[in-house]
Amino acid sequence: MKTSWIETIIAGSYALILHIILLALFVIGMESQTPPKLVSQPKVDIVQATVMDEAAILQEVAKQQQLENEKRRLEQERQQQLDKKLAETQQELARTEQEFLDQQQRAELEQKQLELEKQQQQEKIAKLEQERKLQEQKTREAEQHRKQEEEKKQQAEQQRKAEEQRTLEAEQARKIEEEKKQQAEQQRRAEEEKRKLAEADRKAEEQRKAEAEKARKLEEEKKRQAEEARKEEEKRKAEQERKAKIAEADRLLQESLAAEQQEQEERRVAGVVDQYSLMIKQRVKRYWIRPGSAETGLQVTLRVSLLPGGDVKQVTVIKSSGNSVFDRSAESAVYKAAPLPQPTDPKAAAALRDFQFIFKPE
Amino acid sequence: MTKIWLTLIWLLAFLPWQAQAELVIEITGGTEAALPIAIVPFGNTGFAPPEDISHVISNDLARSGRFAPLPQQDLISQPHEKAQINFQDWRLLRSEGLLVGKVDSIDGETYQVQFQLFDVYKAQQLVGKRYQVPASGLRRLAHQIADEVYQALTGEVGVFSTRLAFVTAIKNVDGTKRFALQVSDSDGANPRTVLQSKQPIMSPNWSPDGERLTYVSFENGNAEVFIQEMTSGRRNSVAAFKGLNSAPSWSPDGKKLALTLSKAGNPEIYVLELATGNLARVTHNSQAIDTEAVWMPNGNELVFTSDRGGRPQIYKVPAIGGKAERLTFEGSYNASPDISPDGQMMTMVHVQNGKFYIAVQDLTTGAVHVLTDTGRDESPSFAPNGRMILYATEQKGKGVLAAVSVDGRIHQRLGESGSEVREPAWSPIRK
Repeated sequence: MKTSWIETIIAGSYALILHIILLALFVIGMESQTPPKLVSQPKVDIVQATVMDEAAILQEVAKQQQLENEKRRLEQERQQQLDKKLAETQQELARTEQEFLDQQQRAELEQKQLELEKQQQQEKIAKLEQERKLQEQKTREAEQHRKQEEEKKQQAEQQRKAEEQRTLEAEQARKIEEEKKQQAEQQRRAEEEKRKLAEADRKAEEQRKAEAEKARKLEEEKKRQAEEARKEEEKRKAEQERKAKIAEADRLLQESLAAEQQEQEERRVAGVVDQYSLMIKQRVKRYWIRPGSAETGLQVTLRVSLLPGGDVKQVTVIKSSGNSVFDRSAESAVYKAAPLPQPTDPKAAAALRDFQFIFKPE
Repeated sequence: MTKIWLTLIWLLAFLPWQAQAELVIEITGGTEAALPIAIVPFGNTGFAPPEDISHVISNDLARSGRFAPLPQQDLISQPHEKAQINFQDWRLLRSEGLLVGKVDSIDGETYQVQFQLFDVYKAQQLVGKRYQVPASGLRRLAHQIADEVYQALTGEVGVFSTRLAFVTAIKNVDGTKRFALQVSDSDGANPRTVLQSKQPIMSPNWSPDGERLTYVSFENGNAEVFIQEMTSGRRNSVAAFKGLNSAPSWSPDGKKLALTLSKAGNPEIYVLELATGNLARVTHNSQAIDTEAVWMPNGNELVFTSDRGGRPQIYKVPAIGGKAERLTFEGSYNASPDISPDGQMMTMVHVQNGKFYIAVQDLTTGAVHVLTDTGRDESPSFAPNGRMILYATEQKGKGVLAAVSVDGRIHQRLGESGSEVREPAWSPIRK
């Protein structure tokens, strides 16, 4: 903004100056020259800025901008007007100046041409002199230069020799150094070897130790395991004993239970057997046709074997009554009564598989 | 030690078996039902026999009351010898015996008869025999076979080949009666007249050997006791005393007769010694009638009817005389005793409500069992095996023969004679 202002001012100033110059030239052209007079000096406004809140500022700025823009536009318009006028004036001025210059130049050139021709001659002489002098100087300088060069060469030779010497020394030193280095290297290597050996030793020791430790641990583990096994065994034995005791108790209980059960079972079977014995008895009795001649006191004992279905497998007289007819009547009764009632219970049936019959008339 | 254990184990192993073997079922009683028996009609080759042997056998056995022959239609098959028998079949019929046989003749005169009796359950022959008889002997043989079967299966002597003696009275057209003493087979069949008379014939009685008969005949106008030989027909009078000569009864030894004689005025019991003719008086009760004496099997006592108690009752007295002991107390009338061969039972006419029945009395217990129900029964006589009682009864106003088993279960009508039949006597078993 300021700059713009300044520029405007400057521009304004230039325009003014130009006007003055032109005027002066005009004057000069026509009359004598007069010192320029200061006509006007634009004042610079110092704007007192206060800090406001940003919005306000922005607003203000915007406003200002707008105002300035407007101003600038007006200024520009004005400037354009001015420029235009200035351009026209300049053109005119330039044309006029050109004409003037052309006249001046031609005069000057003629002057100059003369002076130059004289000067050129003088200069030529001077120049020749100077050239000679310069040649001498040059020769002197070349001699000096040669001497210097020689000196330089000697110095260089010296230097080279010194350099060589130095190189030699350096080589020697290097060799020594190398040797040293080698020795050091050797030593280092020996040391390294030693170190390695030591390391190996250490490692071996460590290994040994580790192994020993391991062995110890193994031993310990073994011992522990053995101990554990022993304990386990003890426990197992105890458990076994306990179990055996329980088993024994259980067995005894089972035995008594079994005995009881067996007793019960036997009673049950006996009951069934009784029942079926009665049925068999009644059935056989029904089929027994006792001989009319049967005297009281006759008695025959038969052994009867039955087949699973209750059919008679075999009847044998194991104790005869002495009366064959009586005996046979009993045998026939058993045969005729077949199939004899048989219990489905296998135990009772087994008990009734073979049995004895006693037949008595009364 | 091991041995002891082994022994123990061995014994233990046998315990159940022993326990099992100990089961004993006791059967008492049983029935006295008829034995089922399968009698297969005898096979025949050659001439057909004039008698149906198996039929006769079957009837005999059935009549005894001890057998129940299977009906013909139930017979599964018709075997005639063992090889043809499938015993299992017969077992299903539950018959106790199986009788098979054959009758063969090549000339129609002589017959070859064979029979086999089997125990069906054991598939065993119990008895088997072969005979050769003339055609006329076939019936008799059939009775004999029946006896064999009977004995084999009951253990008792069969009485089918015994004979019956009885008196028939035929009314003539002129109103008079013709009397005959007849002897028949034990089934009443095949009667033969051994004596004919216009006068009554009474009280036939067999000699113990079955060879002779004693009876009362009025042929001489008076009751007279005769003895007649069966084979020769020879006869002679043994008691023709004044008065009544009646109710002869042969002593078990065949040497004496017990008689009822009224030669002393009142009917008394006497014993006549046949060989000597000696007569011994047994009863001495002039106030009462003592009659119908029979011998106890021991030959030492006589059992007779007497009204010495006011009403006819049965008494027992020593054969040599002595104190008479009254046997019957049931009912107001008991008469005509006969004693079973074993001496255990007595059969008699027992009156109930004015009707006459055949009863048996157990001589040990005195228990009386009335066996008949017609109400007009008389003259009971034991079969020689003691199982049956032969008696006379009335059927449609006519006297007929009947038999009843001692237990009263079996009743049989015997014979089919068109005449009035009375006073039967069962022959002893021919030795």
